Amino acid sequence: MLDAIDKTLLKTVADLEELPKGAYNIRKNGKLLSRHVSANINIETNADETGIIVKIKPGTKNESVHIPVILSQAGLYDVVYNSFIVGDDAEVTIVAGCGIHCGTSDPEGHAGIHEFRVGKKAKVTYVEKHYASGDGKGRRTLNPTTKVFLAEGAHVEMELTQIAGVDEANRVNEAVLGPGSLLLITERVLTDGDQTAVSTNNIVLSGAGSRANMISRSVMKGNSRQTFYATMDAQNKCYGHIECDAIIMDNGANETMPSLKAGHPDAELTHEASIGKIANDQLTKLMSLGLTYDQVCQNKKDRNEADVMFGDHLKI
Amino acid sequence: MLELKNLYFTVTGSEENNGGSRNIIDGINFAFDDGKFYVITGPNGSGKTSLAKLIMGINPVSEGAIIYDGTDISALTITERARAGIAYSFQQPARFKGITFRDLMTIATGIDDENNLLDILKRVGICPLSFLDKEVDTKLSGGEIKKIELATTIAANPKLAIYDEPDTGIDLWTIGPMVSLLKKELAESKTTTIVVSHNRSFLEAADVVIIINSGRIVYSGNLEGAMPLLDDLSVCTYRDSCEGDSDAGCYR
Repeated sequence: MLDAIDKTLLKTVADLEELPKGAYNIRKNGKLLSRHVSANINIETNADETGIIVKIKPGTKNESVHIPVILSQAGLYDVVYNSFIVGDDAEVTIVAGCGIHCGTSDPEGHAGIHEFRVGKKAKVTYVEKHYASGDGKGRRTLNPTTKVFLAEGAHVEMELTQIAGVDEANRVNEAVLGPGSLLLITERVLTDGDQTAVSTNNIVLSGAGSRANMISRSVMKGNSRQTFYATMDAQNKCYGHIECDAIIMDNGANETMPSLKAGHPDAELTHEASIGKIANDQLTKLMSLGLTYDQVCQNKKDRNEADVMFGDHLKI
Repeated sequence: MLELKNLYFTVTGSEENNGGSRNIIDGINFAFDDGKFYVITGPNGSGKTSLAKLIMGINPVSEGAIIYDGTDISALTITERARAGIAYSFQQPARFKGITFRDLMTIATGIDDENNLLDILKRVGICPLSFLDKEVDTKLSGGEIKKIELATTIAANPKLAIYDEPDTGIDLWTIGPMVSLLKKELAESKTTTIVVSHNRSFLEAADVVIIINSGRIVYSGNLEGAMPLLDDLSVCTYRDSCEGDSDAGCYR
């Protein structure tokens, strides 16, 4: 059964007010809570019972699958291995995400290892949100891993967001791109207090004509720290771009290390990286639209204004 | 509705004065009437933008008072003035990565409903609907960002709207419609409008032309009366270092 905390977590990480239409698999405190399959999307527990296998039939159009995880059991560190097999020409939205509620001083954590096999010309939108709440002092850890394999002409768009409340995150994204495939990753991470987050990204442009764009937006508040590694490894005629912007507030710290490897003479690789405070002209502009300095710079309780302020950074 | 009383904006450490202080705005007294269209003009460096920024609170008042709707706002923050109904359109608008025109409109108006936003866009007319999800970043052209700046200012439904050189970067055939738009807003919402501009289209639309020189108001009245003075002041202040209008070396 879903209690009030579960409902809040589900609403926050998967935008679900009630059980979704279509296929879904909701995991609570390390166990299956509820599952529904559709004619085109099958979900089954994997052989060693460490996660699920989601199979999407070739040619499936405009369907979605929700696989949120919620956690509110003190002391639990839940690890799950999920596989997604997306058939050729399918078009699907996958909504993942993990919400932790910590009410005690015991730590809680989740590691979701998600592997995607995306078929030829298939289109996948993957949305993942991470969030932790609760009055407990227990450390909340979220360590997501995504591994994406794109077949010829596949198109994958990933929105990876860590909204708030996560004490420690070790985020890993890996991708191997086939010929003519396209990968767009937008990662947004917000840290506050003494939180830390490390994001490691390895994108291998293996096929001819493959393209990848990795955008990272991070905001460090309080004394929090973030480290960002991104490597684009071009092994063919391809195009790759890394863009990372870090906004420092209070005493936050950031290290950003984009890395480009061209192993083919026709590889085109670029990167832009910036770290800094909010620029003065931006601050003045937002104040002239009626936001206070605190709303722009400090803890923002009103999420709408916070969303707007950092646009991409906090948009959830 | 807005009264400037013995207003000064003083900077210290100015080069021209051997590190001494210099009055950028040098004792201005002026009363702006409700629902009129004012155009502030004058040579480069005369203090037009400094005055506009004083009214918005971007520059601090060194001496004197700004009375807005009967209250002294000289000590209020930018935010407080914005919330009191003053809006400001920047000559060089800030650019934000990851923030869309839609986001700015939502902050300016508090509205995030699609239909209402579209209504505002239609009313403003200057930005195509396709702008809504454009990021307000460095990829926008100078003209596009100025249109967005203007639209967010109008959308906020201010009682007093200040536009600092709204025509910079705008194509010639948009300036006419832009003037009409500001006039229309003024007629419909009684928005007191202050435009800082050298552009003849704005000067011709003005109820009152104000000429500023060396931080002082040297004229206020109709355009006809302003013309002889404008001709006198039209000498470029950068003449000594001029490399020509079309050259990158032009400082104007």
